[in-house]
Amino acid sequence: MVDNYQDRVYNTALGIVQNAQDAEDVAQEVFIQVYRSIQTFKEESKLSTWLYRIATTRSLDLLRSRKSKKRFGALQRLFGEGTDPVLEIPDFNHPGIELDRKENAKMLFKALMQLPENQKIAFTLHKMEQLSYQEISEVMKTTVPAIESLMHRAKQNLRKILEKNKP
Amino acid sequence: MNTEKNKKIEDILSSLDGVGRVSAPDFFYTRLKARMERELVPEPKRSWILKPVFAFSALVLILAVNAVLIFSEAKPATSVAETDYIQSAASAYSINTNLTYEINQLP
Repeated sequence: MVDNYQDRVYNTALGIVQNAQDAEDVAQEVFIQVYRSIQTFKEESKLSTWLYRIATTRSLDLLRSRKSKKRFGALQRLFGEGTDPVLEIPDFNHPGIELDRKENAKMLFKALMQLPENQKIAFTLHKMEQLSYQEISEVMKTTVPAIESLMHRAKQNLRKILEKNKP
Repeated sequence: MNTEKNKKIEDILSSLDGVGRVSAPDFFYTRLKARMERELVPEPKRSWILKPVFAFSALVLILAVNAVLIFSEAKPATSVAETDYIQSAASAYSINTNLTYEINQLP
C-alpha cells in the first residue's frame, strides 16, 4: 500500500505544508494512522479518498501548530523572553514546476497560505493532484456544488491577495 | 496597464495547471518502517489487579473486614448466661476447664 500511495500522499502534503521535510513527516504520520485504524476503514469509500482525507487533515494540523508556535514566539519576544528568530517559512519552490513558471508559482503558493483552510484544500487537491470536483467532494465529505463554490471563492480570494501583493 | 496586471494575475493563477506529481523522497519506506517500529511498540499490558476497579474493591473489602473486627471486639466476648451455660455443660460432661492450667502445673 505504501508503494502505491506514497507519492499521492507526499505530493498532497507538500502542496499544503509547502516544505519537503514537513511533507515527509506528514506522509509518515498518514501511514502510521492508517496502520493503526485500518479496521475502521469502511469499504464503501475508496482507499485513496480515505488517504487524501487523512493527509489533508494532518497537513492542516501541522500548519496550525506552526502558526501557534509562531504566535507564541512573537509573544515571547514582546516580553523580551524569546531569543529565537522569527519562524518564517521561506518562499516555496515546488520541484514539479517548470522553470518558466517557477516565479509565478512561488507567488501563488505564498497567496495560497492566506486562504481559509477549506478553500486551500479544495484548490490544492484540484491543482496538485488533478482531482475532479466529484473526488474532492468525497474527500471533503461535501457536495459537488459546495466544491464549485469553494473553488470560485478560492480563485476570487487569490486574485484579491495577488492584486494586493503586486505593485 | 490594468489589462496587463490582470493578465499577470491570470498567469500566476494558472501557474499550477498541469503540474507534475512529485515523488516521495528516496528511502521513504525505510524511514517510515523505522519510525513505525519506534512508535508502534506495544505498551506492556497492565495486570488486571492494577485496574482501578479492582484496587478500589480491594480497599473497600479491607476496610469492611477491619470494621467488622473492630465492632466485634468492642462487644464482651461472652455474656453471663453464656458463661453459665459453658460451665454447666463442662460439669455435665466432666470436662475440667482448668486442665491446661493443671497440666502446666505438673512437675
